[in-house]
Amino acid sequence: MTQLSWFIALIPAIPLLGFLLNALFVKGEKANGLIASVAVAGAFGAAIAAVLGLNGLDEASRQISIPLWQWLAVGKLDVAFGLYYDPLTAVMTLLITGVGTLIHIFSVTYMHGDARPRRYFAYLNLFVFSMLMLVMSDNLLVLFLGWEGVGLCSFLLIGHWFERKSVQPGIVPSEAAAKAFVVNRIGDAGLLLAMMLILSRFGTLSFYGPDGNSGFFSKLSEASFTMVNLGSLGTVSVVSGIAFLMILAVVGKSAQLPLFVWLPDAMAGPTPVSALIHAATMVTAGVYLVVRNHMLFDLAPDAATWLTIIGTMTALIGATAALTQFDIKRVLAYSTISQLGFMIAATGMGAYTAAMYHLLTHGLFKALLFLAAGAIIHGLHDVQDMRRMGGLAKSMPTIYRVYLVGAFALAGIFPFAGFWSKDEILVHGWFNAQSITTTVVLLFSSLLTAFYMGRQIALTFAGEARDNELHAHEHLGTMKWPLILLAIGAVVGGLINLPGLYTLHDWLRPVLHEPTELYTVGMGVFATITTLLAAGSGYLAYRIYSGPALASIKSGAEDPAHYYLGDIWKGFELGWGVDFVYQRFFVRPYRALSEYVYEVFDVQAIDGILVEGSARSVGALARLKSQAQNGSVRTYAFVFLIGVVLVVGYMVFGA
Amino acid sequence: MISLTAASARSLQRTIAWIVSIANAALVVYALTAMQPLGGYQFVESVEWLSDIGLKYAVGLDGINVWMVVLATLLTPLALFAARNESTHQKSFHALILVLSASLIGAFVATDLLLFYVFFELTLVPTAVLIATHGSGDAKAAAIKFFVYPFIGSVFMLASIAGLVINHYQQTGLMTFDSVILSGAVLNGTLVLDQNLERALFAGFFLAFAIKTPIWPFHTWMPQAQASTPSNGSVDIAGILLKIGAYGMLRFALPFFPHAAVWAAPAIGVLAVISILYSAVIAFGQKDMKVLLSYATISHLGFVMLGIYSQTVEGVTGALITMINSGLTTGALFLIVGILAAQRGSRNRDDFSGVWLTAPTFGTLTLITVFASIGVPGLNGFVGEFLSMQGAWLAPQLGYSYVVFAVIGIVLSAAYLLRMYRGVFMGAAPEENAIHEPSTGELAVLGLLIVAMIVIGLYPNIITSISNASVTDLVNSLNANSQ
Repeated sequence: MTQLSWFIALIPAIPLLGFLLNALFVKGEKANGLIASVAVAGAFGAAIAAVLGLNGLDEASRQISIPLWQWLAVGKLDVAFGLYYDPLTAVMTLLITGVGTLIHIFSVTYMHGDARPRRYFAYLNLFVFSMLMLVMSDNLLVLFLGWEGVGLCSFLLIGHWFERKSVQPGIVPSEAAAKAFVVNRIGDAGLLLAMMLILSRFGTLSFYGPDGNSGFFSKLSEASFTMVNLGSLGTVSVVSGIAFLMILAVVGKSAQLPLFVWLPDAMAGPTPVSALIHAATMVTAGVYLVVRNHMLFDLAPDAATWLTIIGTMTALIGATAALTQFDIKRVLAYSTISQLGFMIAATGMGAYTAAMYHLLTHGLFKALLFLAAGAIIHGLHDVQDMRRMGGLAKSMPTIYRVYLVGAFALAGIFPFAGFWSKDEILVHGWFNAQSITTTVVLLFSSLLTAFYMGRQIALTFAGEARDNELHAHEHLGTMKWPLILLAIGAVVGGLINLPGLYTLHDWLRPVLHEPTELYTVGMGVFATITTLLAAGSGYLAYRIYSGPALASIKSGAEDPAHYYLGDIWKGFELGWGVDFVYQRFFVRPYRALSEYVYEVFDVQAIDGILVEGSARSVGALARLKSQAQNGSVRTYAFVFLIGVVLVVGYMVFGA
Repeated sequence: MISLTAASARSLQRTIAWIVSIANAALVVYALTAMQPLGGYQFVESVEWLSDIGLKYAVGLDGINVWMVVLATLLTPLALFAARNESTHQKSFHALILVLSASLIGAFVATDLLLFYVFFELTLVPTAVLIATHGSGDAKAAAIKFFVYPFIGSVFMLASIAGLVINHYQQTGLMTFDSVILSGAVLNGTLVLDQNLERALFAGFFLAFAIKTPIWPFHTWMPQAQASTPSNGSVDIAGILLKIGAYGMLRFALPFFPHAAVWAAPAIGVLAVISILYSAVIAFGQKDMKVLLSYATISHLGFVMLGIYSQTVEGVTGALITMINSGLTTGALFLIVGILAAQRGSRNRDDFSGVWLTAPTFGTLTLITVFASIGVPGLNGFVGEFLSMQGAWLAPQLGYSYVVFAVIGIVLSAAYLLRMYRGVFMGAAPEENAIHEPSTGELAVLGLLIVAMIVIGLYPNIITSISNASVTDLVNSLNANSQ
């Protein structure tokens, strides 16, 4: 192994070591936090070293395969437990370990005094390891290991406070954890099927193969025209079939329509967990999956169209739902769903670099917003209802400033990070993909984004404190520097792919092969208009909620907009009722079905009629044969007799 | 030996049982290390028994049944362990478990068909007696059903055995029950069965093994037996040793009747998929955790059937690994339920809450086991299920439409197991009589089982390197035949 390979292998190895140390040996809150943070920081160091090493190679050779051991070698299957590292993996590892380090450090103060810090930090390290395996695997099976691994860690961390009957706003942590896992499993089943289809058609699960040219990607074009007949469902090409199955996985993991229902409930976990897993990294795994398999989606335009539709709808639904929430974390949760919709829509339109760009900047500013929200919750002793806040700008000045930065970035205000990346998606939709409807819906969603952030800033920070019992104070400890560093990232993050320079675009070119485009004047005008509209929308919301609407904001009261919009507003608040539909039409009927199948089919029909019934009729027959025996022994004897008769009969007549 | 000792000599009985089972385990581990990665039987012992009718005491190990034997020998001490605090019937219990273990191993290693049949039947006796004497509630009724129902099935198998042997005798002039000779004759064409006859004989074997496995709709004896056996899980662990049904399908039903097996595969595949989904749906609503686990077992065995009847290397290996997993993981879960029931005196999941809080290590070990059973990659369950489904997908007689439904099972298994875990281990702990951490010994046993789960999950080569040659031989002979 070369020196570079060693650095690459170290990236996931150090968090794994940290997990094992904390899980098996180390006791004590301080030591746990220290080990976990150092482990992820070490991984970040290795990731930087690896990127520098990769940068030193020429473009064509920037893909490194490191097979570790043979995992499954049965029949057609020969899957190595192998790592893979290329420019796309490199940016993902930087994001995961970089933001991961800050969130670990943040957690040291945030989780101080928690009942189970050891588990918390062990889980966090395990999560970072699994997420790294997801992005660093050289085949789909190892990717699936990471994919389910992060789901498992998500379960553990959402359920970290599993003993609590409910956390705000009325979620049961253990229920939310199980819900997240089961809903994700629906998507995972799709990925599993995609793997089996790929294996049966191409005989390998490796993306590129050990020599870079023998994976299933290189065999795609020949198969893209093979059609599969699905009977009444029509026909579909093999590649589209794989792509649709992958979309199922994306929809589950990246919380898209119609499977996004688990993410708002996932807020039952500690807030740093929401920042790391449910905003910056794990939920972006779906975007990564599509970008990694972009060759497949390029050959499956029908599937790609569906990605665009799903992403656009999710962006809109998420934004409208975020508009109506009063829980500070729930606003951000729906906002995350909406922003993931932007990324998915971008991948559907073939704007892979734009999607990755937004993934990276979003990772920074959404982690910032969540952590800042966590710092607020920490300072207010676990109050999350914005109706009870107000006036926090005075009592929490640092948090206020960084929150403002995060909000500007999310709203897409020039020159903050989110402006550049969101603009690239919109520009691509308007100018390149020429899908006007999609762009208009996305633009509208981004105006809503600015609006709900304006509303949140007004409700949280503006004016006077509405609840004086809260004793708001700012005590940051180790939380301070992560916030500041992320705020800097949210300001300058756009630099990684400025129009005209296209650094990220060039970096990803060996993987994505996207042509460089000229930045036209029209695009500049478009960007100016969108950012002005966003700024106006945000300002309007701020004015409304810090001015005329303020009077009716009371704990337990409805939003003033509810007065005008009524049930539409309520519907937004409930995430368009998707969760309700599931409860009503799937979860409850499934419970009833379970009882019914057991009672009626198993106990009464199969066992009652078929088994007992035939035993009884055999018994009745047996009674004719012999009076001396009784009960089941008789049955047994009679059956034995039948057997003997059959054997003898066959011996005699069969010959 | 145990039955010879006086009833009062408790520690002696226990010691004997332990010595025997551990010595057995040591022997198997030796066999495993000495095993050559080749096809065909090794360590063959053959003694003429009734040479007039060609009956032999013939045993041997290959890459497939060696794992069944490993499982049986490793789980026997586990069953003894689970019952170590049982006070009544100790003598009979230890004796019966050892008889069961011996007959099981006998059935697994037998290469002579009649010898297999004898051992196959023999396993019923100790298990039925265990249920009847150690059970509660409707134990006697359950025991009788447990005995009679599979027995009926095996009578049909006996008829089929006779039919097969006689046909072989008529066509070749050799009277033998040796499975190697018989399947060899089928392979090289010296034994040719009429199509309808082959299907009828296959049906006899299938019925016996389908009931024993069990698969839907022949499964009802199993949850009933488990509901009425003692709570400590010992008999259940013994019960899940009963992988001879699935093993018999693979070892005998397929090689003897390859054409009929291919012919019946689509129908059996449907039964397998129904087993997977139907049992998973029922498990979701079960409050008695033992019954829940028995339905989970039936659901897992659906994957085994799917893998076996795919008749591909992937599928058969997947089936083999899933059989091992079902013993390992479900065995551990039964042990866990036994530990819970011993402390609370109930197996109803509604009677528990917040166990993870008061027994953190126990809770974590249980969680890992639960995720192994759900099939999270990195643990053993995933490897088996994935290979079984992949095999079914590749099989010409099955194909993807079966897998598309079977895969729903992995969602449903997460639903029912996490519902159980959430109710029992999460939530607030009761003020009084909270479940406390079990003994170090119990935790250590669970820990060892979990180590095995992780090893199989991350390095399944440990199994496949030994089984590959035998499985490939078997599959090749099936494919050569069915064409």
